[in-house]
Amino acid sequence: MKNYKMAWRNLWRNRRRTVITSASVFFAVFFAMIMRSLQLGTYDSMYKNIIESYSGYIQVQNEEFWENKIVDNVFNNTAELQSRITEDKNVEDLIPRFESFALASSGSRSKGVMVMGIDPEKEKLLSDVESRLVNYRLTDEAIDAIKAEDIPSYLAKNLDLFRDKSYSSDGSLQIDLGIKEGDEETLMPVLTRYAGVDNSYFSMGEDKALVGDRLARYLGLERGDTIILLGQAYHGHTAAGKYVIGGIIKIPNPELDNKIVYLPVDVCQTLYYAPGMLTSMVVHLKDNDDDAIEGTLARLDSKLDSPYRVLAWKEMNETLVQQLDADDKGGMIMIGILYLVIAFGVFGTVLMMTAERRREFGVLVAIGMQKTKLTGVLVYEMLYLGLLGILAGVAIAVPSIIYGYYHPIHFSASLAKVWEDYGFEPVMKFQWIDKYFISQSLVVAIIVLVAAIYPLIKIRKMKEVNALKA
Amino acid sequence: MKVLELTNVHKVYNTTHVEVHAVNDVSLDFEEGEFAAIVGPSGSGKTTLLNMIGGLDMPTEGKILVNSTDLSTLKPSALIDFRMRNIGFVFQSYNLIPVLTAKENVEFIMSLQKWPKRKKDERTMELLEAVGLKDRVDSRPSRLSGGQQQRVAVARALASKPRFVLADEPTANLDTKSTETLLDIMEKLNMEENITFIFSTHDARVMKKARRVITLEDGKVVSDERRK
Repeated sequence: MKNYKMAWRNLWRNRRRTVITSASVFFAVFFAMIMRSLQLGTYDSMYKNIIESYSGYIQVQNEEFWENKIVDNVFNNTAELQSRITEDKNVEDLIPRFESFALASSGSRSKGVMVMGIDPEKEKLLSDVESRLVNYRLTDEAIDAIKAEDIPSYLAKNLDLFRDKSYSSDGSLQIDLGIKEGDEETLMPVLTRYAGVDNSYFSMGEDKALVGDRLARYLGLERGDTIILLGQAYHGHTAAGKYVIGGIIKIPNPELDNKIVYLPVDVCQTLYYAPGMLTSMVVHLKDNDDDAIEGTLARLDSKLDSPYRVLAWKEMNETLVQQLDADDKGGMIMIGILYLVIAFGVFGTVLMMTAERRREFGVLVAIGMQKTKLTGVLVYEMLYLGLLGILAGVAIAVPSIIYGYYHPIHFSASLAKVWEDYGFEPVMKFQWIDKYFISQSLVVAIIVLVAAIYPLIKIRKMKEVNALKA
Repeated sequence: MKVLELTNVHKVYNTTHVEVHAVNDVSLDFEEGEFAAIVGPSGSGKTTLLNMIGGLDMPTEGKILVNSTDLSTLKPSALIDFRMRNIGFVFQSYNLIPVLTAKENVEFIMSLQKWPKRKKDERTMELLEAVGLKDRVDSRPSRLSGGQQQRVAVARALASKPRFVLADEPTANLDTKSTETLLDIMEKLNMEENITFIFSTHDARVMKKARRVITLEDGKVVSDERRK
C-alpha cells in the first residue's frame, strides 16, 4: 500500500477530529484572506484616491516648494524643461499645476482653501476632475420628492441611509441605493428629475472655478454663484479674484473635498501674478508599477539639478504611508494571533493522534516498516489535513472576495462620519486575488507541517518494545 | 539447521533501588521447523526473552544469533529490515492495521519487500485460504471477530516466509473454539512451510500441541522438554 493511500485512510479513522481540525484550518485561511484582502484593498483605495486626485506618482517642483509652500517657490515652465522630462521612456505627458492657498468667501462665510490651477484637458489624464462633477445630490427636498413618486419600498428605505450624499456617477448612485437590475430604466429618470445637479467643466482662460462638494456646502455655493479668492501672490503682490462657479465636484478624500478650488492654470497664474510659472508638474507615467516608478524617479533625479526637485508619491504622502504602514503591521499582528490560535489547535490534534497511535507505530516498526516510511505516512496525513482546510478556505474566500470586490462595503450614517473625520473615504474595498493568497495559504501549510515535526521526533526516538506496551 | 542461537543471554533492568534480572543466563538453540512453547508463571521473563529474540530489545549481556547474524551488530534501520525478512510476529492483541482489509494486512510486509503483484496476490490468497478466511478478504479488522483477526495476524506473520515466527501469548484473548482452530492452523502451516514457531504461553492447550516446551522461572531455563 502506498504511503499517500494509507495516510488518506488513516485520516478518516477519526472522522470528527479530522473535520474539526480541518475546520479550524479553514477558518484561519478564510478569515486571514478576507482580512488581508479588505486591508490591502482599503489601502489601495486610499492611495489611489490621494494619488489620482491630488499628488500623482511623480512630481517635479521647485526645490524649496515642498518644505515651504509659498508662491515665491515656483519655477518657469520652459519648453526646454518639458523636453528634458518627456524624453524619458516612461513619461507619457506632463500635467502642469499651480498650487497655493487663499481665503475664499461667499456671502457672509469664508474659509481657507487650497487653490489648484490645472490644465483642464491634461488633468483628465490624472485626476480627471471633469468626471468628478456632481451629477446627483440626495438633499432632503429631493428625497421627499422621490418618495412621493411610485418607487419600490427598498429604494425609499435606502434613500434615508444616504441622505445628503452627492454622486458623480450613475453607477455609484445605483450601488448605494441598491437599485435592482431592470429597475434602473424606470428609477433613474425619477432620480435625475429630483436629485440631478446641473454642473459644467471649464476650459483654459475661462474665469470659472470648480469647488469641492463639502466646501460648496459650507460656503453655500451653487453653480452660477460667485466665489472671491484673496491671498498672497508672487513676490509680495496681492492675489485677488472673483470667479463664477462652473461646477461642484466630489473628491473621494473628504479632507481635500472640504478645501479644494480648481481654476484653469493660466487664470490661476494671473491671480498669483506668476505668468508661465508653476509650483509643480505632475509627471504622468506609462507604467505605474513600483519598479517602473522607482526607475523613472532615479532617471529624472539624475537629470534635473537645482532648482528642481523630483518627488515620489510616497514622499509627498508620507503621513498617509506611515499611517497605513502602522495599520498594516497591526493587521499582520492580528492575523499572526489568529495563526497562533490555529497552530495550537492543530498541535493539540497532533499530540492526541500521536499518543493514541503509539502502540500502532510500535507494531508497524516491529513487523518491518522503516521509521522513515512511517514518518512519510504521517507527513501525508498532516498535508491532507492542512490541504482540506486550505482548499476549503480558498474555495469560500475566492467568491467572497470577488463579490466584495464588486460590492465594496459602504459605511453610512455615524460610522461614515467617523471615517470622514479621519480624512478617509467611508468605504472598505477588497483587493483582487493576488500574491497574498499564496502567502496566506503557505503560512497555514507551514504551520501544519511544523506541527508534524512532533510525531516525527517521537517516531525517531521510539523504542519498539516500549511502544508495544502502550 | 539452526535458525536461532542464544548464548548466555542476560537482561537486567535497573529500577530506582534494585537490579531486576528478567532473563538470567539463558542459552538455547532452535532448529528449522520447530514448534516450541516457552512457558512459565507471570514475571518469569517469557515476553522479555521473546522481545530479545525478535530484536525488539537487546540483551544486557550474551549473544543472539539469527541465521548466524548477531542482532546486536546491526544498525537500527538494518535491524528493522532484518526483522522484516526473517521474523514473523503474532501479538496477544492481534495488532492488525485498522485501516487495511484482511488481504491488505497480509500483503503489507510483502509490499514493504516490493514483491511483484501477481506473486503477492497468490501468496496472500494461499494464506487466507489456509487460515479459513478466503471469504473475508475485503473485511477490515473491525468487522472480524477476535479469532478471525488472530488468524489474519498469523497469515501476516507467515506472508514473507520468515525464518521463524514469534507469538506472544497468541491465544490469551481467544475462546476455546477459536484457540483450537488457531492452533490447528499454526501446526498445519508449521508442517507445510517448515517455519519455526516459538510461543510464549501459559495456556495448557498450547503446551499440549507444542513439540518442545521450555520452562522459565525467575528468568532462568528450568526445563527444556522435547516431545515427538
